[in-house]
Amino acid sequence: MKKTIFYILSSLLFLLPALMLAVKSFTPVWKWGEPLSFEWTLRGWEVFLMDPRIYEALFVSILIALAVTFLNLMVGFLTGKALSHSVFKGKGLLETFLLLPLFIPTMAAALGLHITMIRLGLANQWLGVVIVHLVPTIPYTIKVMKAGYDRVGSGMIQQAKVLGGSPFHVFRSVELPLLMPSVRSAVFLTVTISMSQYVLTAVIGGGNVITLPIIYYPFLQSVNDTVMAAFSIAFAMLPVIAVAAVELLSKILTYKGTFVNRGVT
Amino acid sequence: MKWHLNKQTTLLLVPAFLFLLLVLYSLVMSFVESVKGPDGWTLSYYQSLFEEERLYASFGYSLWITLISTALSIVIGWALVRSFHTFIENSLGKWILWIPMLFPHFVWGYFVLLLLGQSGVLSSVLFNLGWLESRSEFPVLVQDREGAGIIITYLWKEIPFVVLMLLPVYTQLPKQYGEVIQVLGGTKKEYFKTIEWPWVQPVIVEVFLIVTAFIFTAYEVPALLGVQFPQMTAVLAYDWFYGISWDERSFAFALLFMISVVMSLFALLSFLMLNRRRWLISKSQHQR
Repeated sequence: MKKTIFYILSSLLFLLPALMLAVKSFTPVWKWGEPLSFEWTLRGWEVFLMDPRIYEALFVSILIALAVTFLNLMVGFLTGKALSHSVFKGKGLLETFLLLPLFIPTMAAALGLHITMIRLGLANQWLGVVIVHLVPTIPYTIKVMKAGYDRVGSGMIQQAKVLGGSPFHVFRSVELPLLMPSVRSAVFLTVTISMSQYVLTAVIGGGNVITLPIIYYPFLQSVNDTVMAAFSIAFAMLPVIAVAAVELLSKILTYKGTFVNRGVT
Repeated sequence: MKWHLNKQTTLLLVPAFLFLLLVLYSLVMSFVESVKGPDGWTLSYYQSLFEEERLYASFGYSLWITLISTALSIVIGWALVRSFHTFIENSLGKWILWIPMLFPHFVWGYFVLLLLGQSGVLSSVLFNLGWLESRSEFPVLVQDREGAGIIITYLWKEIPFVVLMLLPVYTQLPKQYGEVIQVLGGTKKEYFKTIEWPWVQPVIVEVFLIVTAFIFTAYEVPALLGVQFPQMTAVLAYDWFYGISWDERSFAFALLFMISVVMSLFALLSFLMLNRRRWLISKSQHQR
């Protein structure tokens, strides 16, 4: 009974909107007052994919998201391990401080860094945008990776070291496979957050770094809801693709012949 | 137990310190920009900032939207977790909850505009059903003075966030605790007071702080669904930053710096108060 209520409620509230956008991207423009038309059309996707700016923006967005994700994972693995597996004075305080960037306006960080970025020649560059995208993402990644290391514990890692594994080998054969669930969440969060940044990209990119959100806003002026729906669906597909790509990469990186997911899960 | 940072841990923490330095630096620079006048340091921008009518209008408007969105998201999200947590984990339902997380806030804002705008889908459908005479009969829910469209968008996006943050807390809550209470003849109220609340409180506080800080200072949704006046803080800061006069640019920095200080002090105090309790809880758990 409870289960039925939950599924009806969540489908209505969360699944239906996504479905509506998906259907909308394949149906002609719905004019107000006219019956909704459900004639199948690829027009929206054509217009969206024919726009040369879209390709450039897609490329730049993916480049930025990749770089942000890479840096996030690097910081996340190292910091998560340190916070989880070692004890030192002020650890609680450091953990709190690492969460604090979530509580300050990201715009304060962007505007504060703006002049320095200009001086360093990073303003209007994709690299500058990458740096500023770290502010809203890294606190989440550290949190997720720390929780991952907490869950895995230090026993397996120590065992691998005792058996003479080099740090990289231990990482490939023990840490990475065991931490994959956390890596997935971290990548998903990082990519969605990076894809959601309009104002940070606009300030630091200065209209020179064109990402998908930057062209989404002007697209809103066009009243073509079919094109907008296609654009909207494209946003939701990117994090999914990113997680799939990381999955693939980890398969390549992982040392073959490990007992993946045995013992500690 | 080692109490001091050893060399290896320090090395692991270098990137984290660099990150903190970056954030701290940006805040210091915001402050510097807010007190830099044409002839030397001055606090006069803060003084004139508080004479700006736009500031008060913005604070009132932002606070109203933030508090109502945050409170409702947490209450509804928490209620959902409490009633459904037993089967959301490891089920299809969890994936449904992830769907709104896939979309950026402004995309969801566009969806709200498409669905609930005066010329939106809902109004069109109601007209076709003969329930509306004209589109002006449909309530102004988007780009309205009360910020209803903004609140709806945030609720829709934040409720799944609250659910996903609280879900692991409930699935990890040891069942034995409830059994102990039952055996000792405790009531549901006592169960909530002695077990459930202490267990979820840290996460509730954290979620409250994250959502509040985010909504109060986010730009994307109010820029899309807001009105010209009043504006939410981020939109106002953006306008001022790209404003014509130097004063306005300094206002933008002063406004954002003030919010940063207030919010981070608030968050810091909350965490310090929580940490003591959290320490007690972790003491009673097994060390892995």
